[in-house]
Parts: sequence; C-alpha cells; structure tokens
Amino acid sequence: MVIDITDVTPLFIWLLGPEWTEGRLFHPLPLTVFLLLLIAGLSWLVVRLRKGHGSTDRGAARAIGGGSAAAIVLIALGIIAWKLLLLGKAEEIAWTLTLADFAEGLRNSCFKGLQWLLGGGWHQGALYWWFLVIISAAAAVFVLGWLAVALRRGPIKALETSGRAIGDCALDIIRISPRRVGALAWLGIKESIRRRVVVVFAVFILILLFAGWFLDPGSIDPARLYLNFVLTTTGYLVILLLLFLSSLSLPADIKSRTLHTIVTKPVRSSEVVLGRIAGFTAVATCLLLIMGVISYFFVERGLAHTHVIDADSLKTVEYAGRPTGRQGVTTRVHEHRHKVVVDPSGNGRVETEQGHWHELDEDWKELLSKESAGKKYQLGQPEGMLLARVPVYGKLAFRNREGESTDKGINVGDEWTYRSYIEGGSLAAAVWTFQGITEERFPDGLPVDMILGIFRTHKGNIEKGVTGSLLLRNPRDGPDVKPTEVEIFESKEFQIDNRLIPREVRTPDGKKVDLFKEFVSDGEVEIWLRCVDMAQYFGVAQADMYLRAHNASFAWNFAKGYFGIWLLGLLVITLGVLFSTFLSGPVAVLATFGALLGGLFHDFMFRLATHQTYGGGPFESIVRILTQQNVTSEMEPGLRTTVVQTLDQPAAFGLWLLAAVLPDLSRFNVFSKCVAYGFNIPGDTILTYTCRTFAFVLPLFVAAYLCLKNREVAR
Amino acid sequence: MQSEIIIETRNLTKVYRDFWGRQKVRALKALDLEIRRGEIFGLLGPNGSGKTTTIKLLLGLLFPTTGQALVFDRDAREVTKNERIGYLPEESYLYRFLNAEETLDFYGRLFNMPRAVRRQRVADLIEMVGLDWAKRRQLKEYSKGMTRRIGLAQALINDPELIVLDEPTTGLDPIGTREMKDLIIKLRDEGKTVLLCSHLLADVQDVCDRIAILYQGEMKEMGRVDSLLKVQDVTEIRVTGLSAIAQEEVKRAIEHNNGHVLNIGNPTTTLEDLFLKIIRESEEHPGRRVRGVVEKT
Ligand SMILES: Nc1ncnc2c1ncn2[C@@H]1O[C@H](COP(=O)(O)OP(=O)(O)OP(=O)(O)O)[C@@H](O)[C@H]1O
Ligand SMILES: [Mg+2]
Repeated sequence: MVIDITDVTPLFIWLLGPEWTEGRLFHPLPLTVFLLLLIAGLSWLVVRLRKGHGSTDRGAARAIGGGSAAAIVLIALGIIAWKLLLLGKAEEIAWTLTLADFAEGLRNSCFKGLQWLLGGGWHQGALYWWFLVIISAAAAVFVLGWLAVALRRGPIKALETSGRAIGDCALDIIRISPRRVGALAWLGIKESIRRRVVVVFAVFILILLFAGWFLDPGSIDPARLYLNFVLTTTGYLVILLLLFLSSLSLPADIKSRTLHTIVTKPVRSSEVVLGRIAGFTAVATCLLLIMGVISYFFVERGLAHTHVIDADSLKTVEYAGRPTGRQGVTTRVHEHRHKVVVDPSGNGRVETEQGHWHELDEDWKELLSKESAGKKYQLGQPEGMLLARVPVYGKLAFRNREGESTDKGINVGDEWTYRSYIEGGSLAAAVWTFQGITEERFPDGLPVDMILGIFRTHKGNIEKGVTGSLLLRNPRDGPDVKPTEVEIFESKEFQIDNRLIPREVRTPDGKKVDLFKEFVSDGEVEIWLRCVDMAQYFGVAQADMYLRAHNASFAWNFAKGYFGIWLLGLLVITLGVLFSTFLSGPVAVLATFGALLGGLFHDFMFRLATHQTYGGGPFESIVRILTQQNVTSEMEPGLRTTVVQTLDQPAAFGLWLLAAVLPDLSRFNVFSKCVAYGFNIPGDTILTYTCRTFAFVLPLFVAAYLCLKNREVAR
Repeated sequence: MQSEIIIETRNLTKVYRDFWGRQKVRALKALDLEIRRGEIFGLLGPNGSGKTTTIKLLLGLLFPTTGQALVFDRDAREVTKNERIGYLPEESYLYRFLNAEETLDFYGRLFNMPRAVRRQRVADLIEMVGLDWAKRRQLKEYSKGMTRRIGLAQALINDPELIVLDEPTTGLDPIGTREMKDLIIKLRDEGKTVLLCSHLLADVQDVCDRIAILYQGEMKEMGRVDSLLKVQDVTEIRVTGLSAIAQEEVKRAIEHNNGHVLNIGNPTTTLEDLFLKIIRESEEHPGRRVRGVVEKT
C-alpha cells in the first residue's frame, strides 16, 4: 500500500508564516506590491477591452498583435543580451530554453506540497515552467504562421497579418460573453439528455445490483473492496461517457450542418468550444453527484451488519478461584466473529476484526449479572470501517543487528524492494522520526498505525502473529541513550494495526513519566520498531508507520474522491472537444482514447523514449521479434543494427515529445486510493491536482479554439 | 444617389480541394459583386453553379481561395458582422430536439439579447410565421414547410440589416410563397438589404431589383431586372379597341417604314426566356460574358 503523499504543507503557514507577515507573501515586499499592481493593471485592461463595442475593433486587435510581436522580439533580445553581457562568454549562448528543460518542467509539475508551484526561487516552480512552455508554444505557432504568410505575401504584410491574428485571438478570449456560453452549454446539456445519458444511470444501477454477487463483505478489508469498486465503476462509466459525448458532439453538428446556423450568428469560436466544455462539465457534475450519493448508500448498506452475543456462550474467567469477568465470541456474520471481553468492573468491549468493531446499546454490567442468562444481545452497526485518517508521516532510518545506523535494512531477496527488513531477536530496528508532535495535537498519547510486511524463516507458531515491540527515544539524547520500550504487540499481516502509546510511560527503573516531557524535544520524537521473535523479519517502508492525528469526515473525503474523477473528466472533455474540432467523429473518439491511454502509460512511454527499457525502439523490436532474439542481448554490430537504431531515433523523439505533452493520468488514482484505503485526501493534493488539470485544460481550450476558428465549417 | 455598399466581393474565387489538396471543383471563378443598401439582389443559376458557395463565402462558412469578400466593409471571416445579418440556409439546419420557442430563444441568446426582449421577439416572430399552434412541438415533428418557416423566423430574430436567403420559397405552399415574397418586399421597404438565390424564376422576377446569373461558377449577367428583360430592338405597342381593319392599317404603316411585324398580341418575354437563352449561349460559347451589359443603378 503506497500512498502518494508523504508530506502535508499547510498552505497558509507557507503563504503568511507563523506570524501573518513572515510568510512568502510578504517576503520581498516590493515584489508583492509589483505583483498587485500588475494584477490590477491587467484587470483594468481586460475590463476595458471587454467593454469595447460588440464588434472587433481593428485598432485594439492591431495594438495587441503589434504589442505581442514586439514583446516576443524584446524578450528574445533580452535573453540574448543577458547571455552576452552578463555571462560574457560567446559559447554560453547555448539556449537554456531547450526542449529537455520543458519536459523536465512539465514532469516536475507534479511535485508534492505547494512548493512545486512556485519553487524555491522564482524560476524553479512549476508555474514558471508552465508559462515558459505556453509562451514558447505560442511563439512557435506565431513564427510558423508568420512564415506561412511571409512566403506568399512578404515579411512586412505577414507581420501585420499574424499580429492581428494574435490580437483577434486575445479579443476572442477576453470578450467571451457569458450569455452565449450559457446558451451553448444549455444546448450541450440538452444534447446529452437526448443522447440518453440516463442510460448510464441504468447501467450503473444494474452493475450495483449484480455487484452483490462478487463483492464479498466477508473479505479481509471489505470497506476497501466496496469503495474501490464503486469508485472504479463510476470512474470508468463517467469517463467513457464523457469521452463519447465530447468527441462526437461537434462532428455531429458539422455533419448535420446545425453548426452553420450557429456560427453565422455573432458567436466566437472560443464561445462554441467553451460552451461545449461547460455543458459537458455540467453533465459530468450532475452525474457524479447523483452517482456519488447512490454509491455512498450502496457502500453503507453493503457493509452494514450486526452480530448477536449469546450471553450463555460467554465463559466466566476466573482468577485465583474468583470470577473476574466474562469472555467469548459473537455470532458469525459476514464470515467473521468478534471477541467479546467484559472485565470485572463492567467495562466491556468488542474487539476489532476486519477493521471494525461494534458497540452494545445496553449496559455491559448486565452481562456480568444473573439477569443475562438465556438472553441474546444485539450489537450496533459496524464502527470505524469507513474512515478518513489524517496521517502524520515521519522519516525512516534503520539500525542494523549490532544497533548501528544504516540507511537500509536487509533485502530478503524474494520480495519487492519497496520494503526493507529488520531481523528479529537482534538490535536491528526501524526508526521513524516524527515532527510537529505537540500535546495539543495528541492529548491522549500517540496513536500509531502500522502496516508491516512479515517474512518468516521458520513457521514458528503460525496461529500467532510475529511479536514486535515499539520503543520511544528523544532525538536530542546522546547516541548511547537507549530507547525505552513502551509496547509489545502481536503483528497482523496485511492489515492496519492500530496501537496507542499512552501518555504515561513506565521507564525500565519503574518510574512513571510523561511522554511529552521525556521523549519529545522541539516537537520531534523517535519511534523505534523491533522484531522480538528470533529469525523472523519485519519489512517496512517510510509510509508504513504514521501517527493518526485525527479522523476527518469520511463523507467529505468520499466527496473529494469523486472530485478527483471530476477533474479527470474535465481533462477528457477538453481533449475530446479539442480533437473533435478538426477530426471526424469516430476518429476523434479514437484520438481521445489514445491520448487517455498515453496518459495512463505515461511513465512507460517516457522510459521507452529515453531508452530505459529493454529491446530498443519500435524498429529494433521488430527486428528482434523477426530474428527471435531476446530483449536483453546486445544487437550484433553491423549495417542492419545501425540502420535500425538510426530509424529508432526519430521514433523515440516523437514518443518523448508525446510523453512530455500528455498529462500523467495514472497519478489521478491517488484520489480513489486514498478513499479506499481510508486516508484523508489532503488539501494540498486537491490544490495540486486542480492546478495540474487546469494547466492542461487552458492551453487545450486555446488550441481547440484556434483549430475551430481556422476550420471551414461548411466543408 | 448612390447608397452605401453592403456586400462587396473582389475577384472572389473558391476551389474545392480534397483531403490531399488536389483540386476537385472550381466552384466560383473571380466573382465581382456590389450590393447596396436597400436592394433585393437575386443570384440565379442552374444547379451546381456556385450560388450556395457564394453565400457561404460571404458568411465566413468557407474561406476564399483567392480574392476578398467584404460584408459591411469588414472581412467575411469576422464573426461580429453577424450581429447585423440574418441567414436562412438552403435547408433549415436546426436542432430537431428543440421546440419552436426554445429554438428561437436559443438563437436570441446567441445575439446576447436580454430575456425580456427575447421573449417579446420570439412571440412576435412565431406569430408572424404563423406557427402559434405548434410552438411547443419539437422540430422533428415539423413538416418541411413548417421547418422552413421557423428557419425564417430564426433568421429575423435580431432584426437584421442584411438578410441572406438561400432558396427561400422551396417547400412553401402557394400562400406561404406569396407571404414570403410580400415579406421580402416589406423588408426592402423598411430599408433592409436582401440577398437571395433561387431557381424559381417567377419569384425572382417578382421581387428582385437586380440579379446576377451564374453558370459554372462564372457570372454571365448582372443588372436591373427591368432593363435586362427589356428587349432592346423590339418595340411594343399595346392598344385596346382596335378593329381588324385598323390593325391592318397599322401593320401596313409599319412595313412602309421598313419595320417588320413579328406578331401582334401579348408579349411574353419573361425572365425564364432570358435565363434559358443565357444558359444556351453559355454552353455554346464557354467563357464569354453573354451580353456584357452591366447596368449601374
Ligand atoms: N463541400 C464540397 N466539396 C466539393 N465540392 C463542392 C462542395 N460543395 C459544393 N461543391 C461543388 O461546387 C459547385 C457549386 O456548388 P453550389 O452548392 O454552390 O451550387 P448551387 O448553385 O448552390 O446549386 P443548387 O442550385 O443545386 O443549390 C458544385 O459543382 C458542387 O459540386
Ligand atoms: Mg445551393
């Protein structure tokens, strides 16, 4: 279980600092003032330009066009001058703005936290790279357009034409009319309804009805199973539907020529494109809202069950001949039973099984008394099954069997190297250092969640789990201060094991001390994990232990999971609309589908393009298949190899370019994963992914607009 | 007095190419047109002569291969000119899943009209095209003529200054046709400009002030309808109450002055004759402007 987020950057602390003036927002004050002025100036310009009479005025278009052309020239000159004057060396004019850097920027735009957006320095953040890529792409289009016209009409005329084109483009986007977009969006919604979007609901309900057959509520983690199921089903259904809706809509309008009647009204291409996107987004929103509500109740109903305690079946526990409480199990429902323990003072509890427990409405004391004889007690609905844990992650380091620091544990060989192993019965330990641990955040002690991999070299007692221990140490203590053992536990494999390290800790010499006073310095604490059983191993990775600060609302987290699907849907809609502006219906569907697949296998494409995979590019692979060579052996040197590998170069470049431009869609499953595994989706993640989505949606929208504007609608 | 030029084309040429960029059809060859405010201009020509192509070029639905199309003195590709244009396409390309009111309201919104204005205008237009009884029915249930009527209403939603009608009377019943012609003349009288193309020569003759005749993408004739139809070398004398003897006398008098009596009766020169003559001559002498009479108003 890998969760993608390992840190949580509180946005406001970053922006405003602990005292509200120390953060980044006010750090270089002149910069802030400048930015504010810039924003004010731009808004003023936009308002002025929007006001202009409905018709495009050529003056404004020319001014914008000329301005942009001048800006491009100035920036280029500026870069050259800067390179020449400041660095002084001629050979340094190697352009820093190379494609490789763009790709790096694009790929880096999926950093964690918020830092990725603006970076340490102004030129390191994703935003900067994004602007760089957008401006370069725009400049490339401008230059190509200019060249195309210049060949026919000469350079000066071409400059005017392409300048005006930029101006028109800017005006077309600035002067978008909400009423027209609204009308077109309304049309898109109507069209979706006509295309029987409702059928998707029917399919969804049908799938849910039959899901009961193969979703086993008695499995080891039923909540994960159910949540994964509903999220994946809704995701696929909605994405597929949006794919077809968005990429078939414009071609259908072009074919039936209904678009003729629209574009002969004063409707800008930007409004047509935006109207479609808005309409289908509205459809997606409604669909997801309704499906979300249905799924929520489906999961609740599917997991709902109660158990019965038969009072007669509880055994009385005796200690020194006196009855001290009762023990037993509940009835078996969903293929599990819970242990029931009632202690002599009348505190009863139902133990956790399959990640949940139940509460008893009646008083537990009754179970100790004679009255309970022959009675059956019904337990409440499952508790703690649908969670949104808010984890605090630590940094992991290791100690080897002699107790010395190492950066890695043992690799037990047959397993995925994601986890490192520590040996039982030795001094080997996994040490997590947590930050930001305060009394206010954890008033009752430290709730520790662990997911341990277990590797047994001998069977031992297979009924019992491997025994482990948790220890505490103050990070400020000297190297020879040993950690204090606070908890011995029996491990559960593949399940989240939750333990609470209480505030009151008993030291080896029998003193009782407060956890925060003794082990926490500056909010830092070390938690050590050791394996107690000889010759058994625990496997851990950094994210395998975390402190649970509190639980967030599950319903809200579930909604966030659906928001993730919504973001992906928005991307699909924009891609579909873009392709449909210049391709016919079926081809547009295929292209969108291809882009989706490309986005899902983004990492693989990148590795393929940069020769990090075996077997070479497409041509080399074909040769290998035909000559039945395996993929790892070197190709024989010779003419054939040279030809084939030379042919592969441009193919690899094309693939690389594609991979650099396509969004990495496989990462979007962090949303459903978080929900299914019961983790809260942090605000940072939502912000990051929203930014990433719009970082693609905006340029795709502009591209779609340009394609439609330059298309002869009546062909 | 010369009124303002509304439509102007200069050397307008359109070549349809296929996917590979190969030339398929030269649909329009170097068309020069000038249409002024307040006239009804008719484009005539046999099937496939380039009438619809011209209209699409003027509306920016197609881009010219060479030459220029200007509407309201702006490039035809600018969308903002459409605020003053109403267009009735060859067939009514409307959304069949909307009803009449929704359709008109939708196009009204595309003109950025406020709701109250829109509602009034929609009601007026539905009333005008006589579809009050069917305004809540989806367009897919409409007959051809009804769709045509709603198409017309759609073209007038913005009270346009220039109305472009591609074969306005097809699919209309005789009463509808009459109403359409009356409407076109009424619009002209309100100071609007109308560009229409049609095969129905009688209609064109009835309403148009000026016409241009296209044949295989070339303009063969253009001018005022009345002067085009004037047969220059024929004198028409219309008299009533002339006895047979008196007719003989007149005839003799004409022959005496070296005139030649063709026929005495009602003259039948119509646009149809003119049209057929031009097409026939064009087939015989491709590439020649038939009469070369370009009448300026
Ligand atoms: N999309 C197209 N692709 C290729 N050729 C076309 C296309 N549209 C029209 N043409 C050709 O252009 C020529 C002119 O067509 P156009 O539609 O303008 O004729 P029209 O005068 O409107 O005829 P009709 O009276 O039948 O409506 C024809 O030869 C036609 O085949
Ligand atoms: Mg036609």
